[in-house]
Amino acid sequence: MQVKQYLIRRLALLPLIMLGVSVIVFTLTRFTGSPVGIYATPNMTPDEVAALEERYGLDEPIPVQYAYWLGGLLRGDLGWSGVSVAPVTDVIGLKMAATLELALFAALVAIIGGIALGTIAGVRRNKAPDHAARFFSILGASTPTFWFGLLLLIPFYLWLDWFPLGRSTPEIFDSIGHPTGLYTVDAAISLNPTAIWDSIRHIILPAVVLGFGSMAIIVRMMRSSMVETMSEEYVDAARAKGLPEKLVIKRHARRNALVPTATVIGLSFGFLLQGAVAVELIFRWPGLGQWVTGAILSGDQATIMAYVLVTSLIFMLVNLAVDIAYAYLDRRVVLGS
Amino acid sequence: MMNSDDWLLRVEDLSVHFRTPRGVVQAVDHVSFEVKPKETLALVGETGCGKSVTARSIMKLVPEPPGEYASGAVLLRNLKTGAVTDMLSAPMDQVRATRGDRIAMIFQDPGKALNPSLTIGRQLAEVFGEHRAAMLLTQAGIDPEKGPIGSGSIASQRAGVLRRNFFHLTRRGHSRAIRAAVDDAVMSALSDTGIPNPRKVMSSYPHELSGGMKQRVMIAQALACDPDLLIADEPTTALDVTIQARILDLINDMQQRRGTAILYITHDLSLVRQFADRLAVMYAGRIVESGPALEVLKSPQHPYTQGLLAAIPRAGTPRGKLAAIAGSVPQLIDPPAQCHFSSRCTWCAEACTSHIPKLIHMPGDRDVACLRFEQADSIGVDPSDMPSHVASAEVVS
Repeated sequence: MQVKQYLIRRLALLPLIMLGVSVIVFTLTRFTGSPVGIYATPNMTPDEVAALEERYGLDEPIPVQYAYWLGGLLRGDLGWSGVSVAPVTDVIGLKMAATLELALFAALVAIIGGIALGTIAGVRRNKAPDHAARFFSILGASTPTFWFGLLLLIPFYLWLDWFPLGRSTPEIFDSIGHPTGLYTVDAAISLNPTAIWDSIRHIILPAVVLGFGSMAIIVRMMRSSMVETMSEEYVDAARAKGLPEKLVIKRHARRNALVPTATVIGLSFGFLLQGAVAVELIFRWPGLGQWVTGAILSGDQATIMAYVLVTSLIFMLVNLAVDIAYAYLDRRVVLGS
Repeated sequence: MMNSDDWLLRVEDLSVHFRTPRGVVQAVDHVSFEVKPKETLALVGETGCGKSVTARSIMKLVPEPPGEYASGAVLLRNLKTGAVTDMLSAPMDQVRATRGDRIAMIFQDPGKALNPSLTIGRQLAEVFGEHRAAMLLTQAGIDPEKGPIGSGSIASQRAGVLRRNFFHLTRRGHSRAIRAAVDDAVMSALSDTGIPNPRKVMSSYPHELSGGMKQRVMIAQALACDPDLLIADEPTTALDVTIQARILDLINDMQQRRGTAILYITHDLSLVRQFADRLAVMYAGRIVESGPALEVLKSPQHPYTQGLLAAIPRAGTPRGKLAAIAGSVPQLIDPPAQCHFSSRCTWCAEACTSHIPKLIHMPGDRDVACLRFEQADSIGVDPSDMPSHVASAEVVS
């Protein structure tokens, strides 16, 4: 009950926050110059450019322009994407699905790997597994994504040719239906083994590269909170009950160590969206990151604004999910107070 | 006394060391004592004297490393079969089977000893799942030999099967019956300790209960399997004064009803006076004096015990400075071979700084570790180097 009410309240607040985000996004983007650039060609005269600006309402005061843009936004019109040569709303769904899929798999790698390694490191503190996990996490936190991506591409793509670039083999991709937009999920639903294998082959490398940095952060957090919970009295009390050590660690120490780790996981999703830009470029992943890079390079403001809006929406939703998970993990947390 | 067959727990020559960067801390140093069935023994001493480590060693709960059982044995006798287990050398499976079943422990701070993210009911259910699996299966109308999954009949395997049933399995038809049996067991354990509304407490989380209530839950959990020995490590220190007496009365009451032996770890001498049959005083990792509680309190023989008793403030004495033992507890890192109390002792003589006093058996089932009660020739020192014996003659009655 409590969770439901909290959820409704937070979701009701979301449009307000998004409105604030839209103001900031619009103003900041306009600071970079007039968007007329993508419509103009180099040999236009200043008069022709001015005529163009007038035609698109770019000569109006900024607040009026914002009102136009917001009106479009509310009608589901995000403007014209110059890089995609199509309306933003037509393309953004596909791009978002691709990035979301990549980020979800990367998060899976980071969360599962991070919790497992962090638990082992915390339990076997100052022993070989701990040193290995710590070395690994320092490596992960300090390795730039683009460099790590290239490092994996050279052996696994260039030399061994185990993993292909891109998101899919187009013929296989087109051969199945796409009810969810996530290629791996769609392939699983279609029960087509070729498509399943194709989707997995494509996503493994970029997901590992993208998840690596976040995993490092989760390992560190998980390790230190495991060290802390392992020395709690209730862990000794669990042993005193006669429980096997495995259960003591899993049910008593690890469960409580997950509480502080959950916050880090939520925040690291932001890093994933950010890191996706570099990973998508390197692996030719047709997602939001690749899309927005092209837009930034060509001054395609409609695309840039749509990108920021969408990623901030995703980030807020993920953190809402984390807040709810937090209340589930730590019973002392009262949601909404 | 040591040869009698009527004992439950016998700690023999136990030494526990901790390896630290600064050296080896000899937290427990050649400690021996025994607990008889149904008896209450109080282990008394100041913070850091090794009494908690001794208590944890009995359940083999000292973390290794940095801890290390340097010598000795912790023998537990099965009162029905007479079989003796050494907790320190027994295989881990056997140690686990003993923990929570035949020896149970109440911790100092119930707020820290209960897992904040599990309900009270689930935490108690764990004890039953671990030790009373077969009984609960029978109660649920399931033949334990052919458990829900029906494979083995070995106890540990059954426990594993049951554990899965308790916590993860909901689709099987049996799970409802098992759950009901577990709930019944948990409820009766809770209501036995005078917890009102046990059903509500069962589904509560620890933070929703008061301190006294949490300690009642701890007691219920500890006594769930009717252990032969209950270790109570300062069970009231973290509680409000108003609740302390009620918790102690509860423990005493449960002991009377079930015949549990209790080992109190405490520095509360009024608790000792009220509830303990026998008393052992620890100082700097060693037992310095032991005997029947009231006798020791009436006529303490060891200078440390005397100082401890003199330090109790009494109503009626004029206001002013409280009595204290001069000096402080010695460092236990690589201690010299001498009486640890010698630096603070008013009786200290030459021999005290070169000999470790042994526990000397004295009339009235008492033991004291002080050179004043040893013969100079038996330890090979000049009688003039021995501490004076004058005062002790008047104390021994």
